[in-house]
Amino acid sequence: MKLWRHLLFALNSAWQSFWRSAAVSLAATATVTLILTMAGINLLVGHTLAGVLDQYRARVSVISISVADDTPLTTVTDFEDQLRSDPRVVGVSYLSKDEALARFQADPVNADIARQIEGNPLAAKLEVRVGKLADVAAIDALARQWRGADRNDPTDYQGEFIARMLRLSAWLNLAGVVILFVLLLISIFIVMNTIRTAVYHRRHEIEVMKLVGATEWFVRGPFVLEGILTGVLAGGLALGGLLLAYRPFVDRFHSDLFFVPLGYDPAFVGELARDVLVAGALLGALGSYIGVRRFVRV
Amino acid sequence: MVLTADFSQRPLISLQHVWKRYANGTEALRDVELTVPEGDFLFLVGASGAGKSTLIRLLVREEKPTKGKIFVDGQELGRMKRRHLPSYRRKVGLVFQDFKLLPRLTAFENVAFALRVLGEAGRVVQARSKDALEVVGLSNKHDTYPREMSGGEQQRVAIARALVHSPRLIVADEPTGNLDPATGWEIMQLFLQINQRGSTVLMATHNRDIVDVLRRRVVAIDGGQVVRDDRAGGYHEALAASALRA
Repeated sequence: MKLWRHLLFALNSAWQSFWRSAAVSLAATATVTLILTMAGINLLVGHTLAGVLDQYRARVSVISISVADDTPLTTVTDFEDQLRSDPRVVGVSYLSKDEALARFQADPVNADIARQIEGNPLAAKLEVRVGKLADVAAIDALARQWRGADRNDPTDYQGEFIARMLRLSAWLNLAGVVILFVLLLISIFIVMNTIRTAVYHRRHEIEVMKLVGATEWFVRGPFVLEGILTGVLAGGLALGGLLLAYRPFVDRFHSDLFFVPLGYDPAFVGELARDVLVAGALLGALGSYIGVRRFVRV
Repeated sequence: MVLTADFSQRPLISLQHVWKRYANGTEALRDVELTVPEGDFLFLVGASGAGKSTLIRLLVREEKPTKGKIFVDGQELGRMKRRHLPSYRRKVGLVFQDFKLLPRLTAFENVAFALRVLGEAGRVVQARSKDALEVVGLSNKHDTYPREMSGGEQQRVAIARALVHSPRLIVADEPTGNLDPATGWEIMQLFLQINQRGSTVLMATHNRDIVDVLRRRVVAIDGGQVVRDDRAGGYHEALAASALRA
């Protein structure tokens, strides 16, 4: 019962304090909103790029081994079995010369060339799906040593492209984390200073509280709640802005850069909402906690 | 020279060889020994900068002594953990020269605030705040804001707030300093009544008329030392003792 009364008192004090220095509180909310929006954009861009990279990864983790026309089928089957037993390989499928031609002709991009083809110049293929992108090079080396592989064009492995993609992916992850960290630090600093202003405005009340025997947390509690209030409010506003802009932005980007496999992911919206609101509340709590620890001593 | 009163009652306050030196090197108190029995009424006198305020800050544990020990109601303040400070301060009623009322709260709310911060139930807050305002003669000012009250009335509200916890010790720092003489006397009557009800009163003051007329215990501080401790003294004797030391 006593705890409930303390909580009500703290909530009431936090709400009053927020509006008593409304200009400072709203300025802080606006700034934290901006920062959380930037953090949200960072998350959205990171998620979208991860999706694009995943699609590329799925493509390049499959290598196609061209089978020399004179290779006996038993040799192909033996190698297929060898690949299947390799723990790095997820799957192997054989594509005969006829199936390779049919697939080529079915692709509308190849329509003009397909009409001019006489006979079947395409090689049979072994399509190998490798579990980890980093293992593709080793499987490619294995394929190149296989005596049944076409000597002129043994595989479609794009080593440099994969290496670049791995590097890009690592850099993007790192950049995302650094940007988020810096943005969060700035938010904490802003909330901390807002609380300092609130402490200054309420210094007489704090002094009286101390004199009449209020506990440390009774004095500090309302400020921490005020910080959480600022953070959650800013998180809500940032989230609203992000959700309003997400779909139109993706549609616009998609029509301008159709070759980039960019898409709207409704499943990520819930995750984004949770992250931005929790981040707002935590930033508010942390910033105000540091603030009251520094400026409110009983 | 260190003087202490010879009282037989159990001491509520006991200062034992207390020294206080601030970070800037100022030695505010030097080897102070003082015993205040339960139920005593004590005036603390001395010139500005003599060390009265430091002594009060030590008693409410806003500061710790550099050397020596301070006991209040058997608790040693220097060793008291911060988490125990709130419960200690609830035993001490504090009254200041500048009243320290919250301007956006009414008289009743200012008194009730002292109970609300402790999480007391609404009916307890109502009853005890009402009683405290009645004791100081302000039953008719419940809904009045500090800006609408005279200095004397504001000080009464501050005293009601100090009384609402039923403290055993009242510490007052120049409580009549901002009041005209007539109002100052009214406030002093209130402190005497509080003392008669059993609370110990320790009051720092510059008001020589009050000290001379009431003839209560007077402790004079000069240069951070207790230079005189009279059971029924006057202000002038205290000043004379200070002058002699100088």
